[in-house]
Amino acid sequence: MKCAKLFLIATGLAILVSLDSLADNVKVIANLSVKADEISSTQLKRVFLEEGVSLADGTHVEPVLEKGGPVHAAFLLYLGISEEDLRTYYRTLVFTGKGSMPRELGSDAEVVAYVARTRGAIGYVSSSANVVGVKELAIGVPGDNVDRKLIVRVEPDYPETLKQLKIGGTVRLRVFISANGNVENAVLLGGNPILGESAAIAVKQWIYAAGRSLTVAEVSISFGEH
Amino acid sequence: MHRRLFVVVLACFSVGQLTLRAQDFKVFNRDVQIHGFASQGFVYTNTNNWLTMNSNQGSAAFTDFGINASTNVNDKLRIGAQLYDRNLGQLGQYHPSLDWAVADYRFRGWLRFRGGKVKTTLGLYTDSQDLDFLHVFALLPQSIYPTDLRDATIAHLGGDVYGNLSLPRRLGDLSYTAYAGHRSDSIYSGYVYYLSSVGAQIKSYGGLQYGADLRWNTRLKGLLIGASRLNEDITAKGSAINPFNPGAGLVPYSEVSKADWTNQFYGEYAAGRLRIDSEYRRYWRNQSLFNNISESFADIRGWYVSGAYRICKRLQIGSYYSHYTITNVVTGAFAVFYPPATDTNLPANHDYDKVITGRVDLNKHWNMKIEGHFMNGYGSGPYPNGFYPQVNPRGFQPNADALVVKTGVNF
Repeated sequence: MKCAKLFLIATGLAILVSLDSLADNVKVIANLSVKADEISSTQLKRVFLEEGVSLADGTHVEPVLEKGGPVHAAFLLYLGISEEDLRTYYRTLVFTGKGSMPRELGSDAEVVAYVARTRGAIGYVSSSANVVGVKELAIGVPGDNVDRKLIVRVEPDYPETLKQLKIGGTVRLRVFISANGNVENAVLLGGNPILGESAAIAVKQWIYAAGRSLTVAEVSISFGEH
Repeated sequence: MHRRLFVVVLACFSVGQLTLRAQDFKVFNRDVQIHGFASQGFVYTNTNNWLTMNSNQGSAAFTDFGINASTNVNDKLRIGAQLYDRNLGQLGQYHPSLDWAVADYRFRGWLRFRGGKVKTTLGLYTDSQDLDFLHVFALLPQSIYPTDLRDATIAHLGGDVYGNLSLPRRLGDLSYTAYAGHRSDSIYSGYVYYLSSVGAQIKSYGGLQYGADLRWNTRLKGLLIGASRLNEDITAKGSAINPFNPGAGLVPYSEVSKADWTNQFYGEYAAGRLRIDSEYRRYWRNQSLFNNISESFADIRGWYVSGAYRICKRLQIGSYYSHYTITNVVTGAFAVFYPPATDTNLPANHDYDKVITGRVDLNKHWNMKIEGHFMNGYGSGPYPNGFYPQVNPRGFQPNADALVVKTGVNF
């Protein structure tokens, strides 16, 4: 039994590390001149693909990219586009005279510093970054997950060992729902990592109603009598 | 030729070893971005010479490059310009041109304006057809994007109104562009070169061009469909050998559009590593010739279906089938020189091209492509499509296979 507990703890830590390495908690930051306190994933996509130059409140915004790395990779989930396709997209704008390449910066610190001093700048950094001098924008409009009706729900497995040990609780996941309703990714935000892994496997099989674009929602799942 | 190819390859290696980066600097305290690209190709055909090159012997006369600068003047106004130069067989001949030079004002996301020399929005790739590094294929489907005739549709001196709208009920996004301006072809372009084969020396070729494009990003992720319309009023002026009395010297030559329009419909579907495109274009040109003593009616239709798949980050493969037909009828005095060409089954009136390609990205800035073309027909009617009589003095073979190798860099 003791070995099983140690195994579970070790596995949990490994999963936690791997989830961390996915840079699951990307923060979107903006210059203090930006009036909005939150930005929907749809708006975020329009801003970073240069389709929109201002937010709903009229604030002009200028996107800033982080050059490669896990934070950038995680952020691309919000845009629903691969790195190669994003690069091709920007180059098409630049070389046809129909847009410009957003500024690319090498680290969280550089992004924060640039956003802090540049009117309308909007960027993203890892959740652990120090964001003094800028404002953090909440991603997703409250009720996003209400807008996307859940059509198929698969219940997660409650790992037998944890069940016997009466280890339970609630896990929170950030869920990326594609326009066609499939769950593209589920990232653990809080709770037991082993239960989180089980919940993520189930949630990735959920199907939502089709929407206009990628939607980001938070989902909570409880295990055991809590 | 080999020396030049060696120099270009060496240059590619050199820039590949350097870390190519977009250059930013400040002018009057504003950030200015500089970007550029260059490509070098080699073409070998087993029969007909293609794209005005002596490709039957293997030709590296397939070079282009460009450089641009742009800056944001303020939150809403952006300005920039790009120089472009190329040498494609007998075309271009390293005479640089202003590719685009625009001032772009963004009033709202749904209402923007750009003016100056603007790349024309027509179908999926008209505005990006020169930008080799954006495409899997070394040559885009020539039924829709004939590289020898790029000047015909590439840009206009005028203005665009454009924007992007979100449709209600989650029906997707709609992008629109409406434009008007003046098209001006280089005297080193394909059609002007073709006219020299019938003894015409063109001094100017261009005119009014206006049209619109509407594209719908549907609610099905990755699916885009759209339609474009282009109207033109073109005038060509120059001199020509009098066909009725060749020994009498040159006489004034003119071509004037009576009806000149293009309709294009297209769709694109991208899912993960797979991308499928298809387009259809019909180009109708009715022109009066030699001060209206003759009239030409050409109906040019093309379509293609292409697929590309990214095997891994650095390797993509692709294939397309490109279908081109032309019919032409000349009335009036010149009818005796141009018998009606209406049978598209004849190789002179079509070009069916099956293509396979592979693209390797050696790094973010440097790519190489190898491509095979298996062509039936040569579509060399009074409006050319890659095959020109001047470089095929012994006539055309009905089939031609081509090997295209191309490398390009960009920053």
